[in-house]
This record gives sequence, C-alpha cells and structure tokens, in this order.
Amino acid sequence: MKKLTSLNMLNTIKRLLPALLPSWRFFDFIVASPRIQFSLLKTENETSRQWQEFRPRPTQLSFAAMIKRLLWNPEWNESLFMVSCAERLLDQPTQHSEDEILKRIQHDITKNHSDTSAIHEASHLQFRILLINRKGTELLQEIAFTSRIQLMQDER
Amino acid sequence: MSLYDAIRLTEIMLGIAFAQQSLEHLKSFTNERWLFLPRLILAVLLIIGFQAAWVCFLLLLLGIAILHRFQGPYNGGADRMSLLILSCLTLAHFAPTEKWQELAFGYLALQLMLSYFISGWVKISNIDWRSGRALRDVFQFSAYPVSEHLRALSTSPRLLHAMSWSVMIFELLFPFALLSEISLFIALGIAASFHLANACLFGLNRFFWIWVAAYSSIIWFQQWLQIRGIL
Repeated sequence: MKKLTSLNMLNTIKRLLPALLPSWRFFDFIVASPRIQFSLLKTENETSRQWQEFRPRPTQLSFAAMIKRLLWNPEWNESLFMVSCAERLLDQPTQHSEDEILKRIQHDITKNHSDTSAIHEASHLQFRILLINRKGTELLQEIAFTSRIQLMQDER
Repeated sequence: MSLYDAIRLTEIMLGIAFAQQSLEHLKSFTNERWLFLPRLILAVLLIIGFQAAWVCFLLLLLGIAILHRFQGPYNGGADRMSLLILSCLTLAHFAPTEKWQELAFGYLALQLMLSYFISGWVKISNIDWRSGRALRDVFQFSAYPVSEHLRALSTSPRLLHAMSWSVMIFELLFPFALLSEISLFIALGIAASFHLANACLFGLNRFFWIWVAAYSSIIWFQQWLQIRGIL
C-alpha cells in the first residue's frame, strides 16, 4: 500500500515536471496520426467486420461555427484527449487509456445515435486505432491496435 | 504596469480561461464534474479577487488532481501552461519578499518568451518545416484540421511554404520584441492572432485563452527590464 502511494506520487511528479520545466517543442516532427474506429457487436464472440470512424469531422465548418468553438468546444477537446490516449496506447499501453476510449465511445454513441437500430441490437463494443502516415507522396494506413471487446453498460 | 497589476490581470484572465474549460467538462461524466465544478467556483473567486493567494494554491492542487485523473494532461500544452501560470502565481503570492515575487513572476514571462522561441527553433532545425512539407502533412493527414474542407489546403504548397516561414521567423524573432513597449504590443497582437488562427483551423481554443492569460507577465517584465536599464 505504502509502495503504491509512493509510486502514485512519483508518477504525479513525473507528470507535473513538464509543466514546470516545459520543452515547448510544438509540432517539431509530424508523426503518424491515429484515427479511432469502433465496431458494435451482438455477442462477445462476434468478429468485428463493420468499422466506423469515431466522430468523423464535418465536410465544412463555417467561420461563425469556428468562432463559436472558441468559447464552446467540449466534443473536439474530448476527441483530442482521445487522440492523446490513442498515442499513449501505442507508446506505453495502459488499461486507463483503453478504458477512457471505450467509455467515451459508448457514451457518445448512446447519447447521439440512440435512434439507430444497430445500437439497440448491440451488446458489445470494440475499437481499433488506425495509424496514418505519409511515405513519399502516398498516405499509408495500418491497424496499430485493437481493443478488447467490452460489454456495453446500459446508458440508454 | 506594476507587479501587483500584472499579477491581478493574469489572475482575471486565468480565471476566465479556467471557467471556460470547466464549463466544457460539466456536461461530461460524474467523476469529471466533481473535479471541474469546484474548479469553476474557484475560477470565479479568482476573477473577483477573493483570497487570491489561497484560491491559486487550491487551483494548483486541483490541477494536480486533474493531471492524476487523466494520467497526464487532458489538453496537452494548454494544460501544461495552466499549471505553469498557477505555480508562478502561487509562488508569487507566498513569496516572502518582493524580490522573490518578481523572480516567480519573471519566470513565467521567461517561459512565455521561450514558448515561442523554442517552437521556432525546433521547426527551423527540421528540413520538413523549412520546405513547407511539415505544414502540408499537418493539413493532409494529422488529426487537427477541424473540417475535411481544410485538408484541401495541403494542395497549396506555396501558400503553406510561406505560412511555415512566417510562423518560424515570427517565433524566432519574438525575444527581440522585448526591445521596446511598442514592438512587444505588436508582437503580442500577432501572437494572439496566431493562436486565434490555430483555434479556428485546428480547434485549439484552450491554447488561445491560456496563452493570452500569460501576456501581462511579459508586459510587466519588459518594463521591469527597461526601468533597470537592462534594455
């Protein structure tokens, strides 16, 4: 118990230090970019076949909408946090990052897509991370991570 | 601008930035609301200037709890800048003498200057930034552009090349803005417009509010340097 508390303290200090002594290396290298896709399953043993992009960005966004987002942008900020979780999963996998992504996908689909039949029929959820990178002039995609299959908690 | 005024203005701007962030979290999960509702209340207290020293200290503790909750920053650099400002304000409030207060608040001004200069330095050291390729990659496949329509900008290499160099030159020249009050105000105006553009194009709204919150520290610092004949 004492060891666990010390470990927690150490981790918190490790996370706080980059704020007190920042590196400020914003966008120094443009690395491969993760995309989160999810699949709804009817049983725990079903194999995911239909993957959907999580929160696909709109085709176009008006200038007024961009300015409005200056004051109110919760969904986009949450999506950026999920991108961070995806990067952490690929870098140093933790249960926390996987749980956060699963929890937020489920919350979003039950809140925003509860009228679709696929949601009502589904009992389980899985996500995967696609990594997009450029090689020469071509964009390449690879599946970098596939999550566990999670039983959906009833939020409907 | 006196040290007191600069600290007070930073507190007000930080309070506004925290209130905005906290409101965004209130619609989220219950365990997040437990962290962000107190943060919203403390942000309002900070804006009105009620027990600012203790409010800063409590906000710092809450910031560490939030860092622990998300096992890292929720919003990358914006969260780190928030913690940096809070740490400097808390130290300035509890510093035993004015010299130590100046040191704590001056550290924030120095880090603000470095946030631009180092960003420019790491970019210009990279051939992909010098050629405009890096910014094309940002628009073409990164997770940041807020709409698919914006991705089309990746097909305008000349524009992106010019944009890359404008950003790099501005960031690298930022320390020279300290030479006079007018040049600093112009530089801060350009910097705020840069953050505004990032907020519009990449949805980085929290960066805008939090970086602007630190501006009064560098305005005070420039005058501090000038009064002492350092500039």
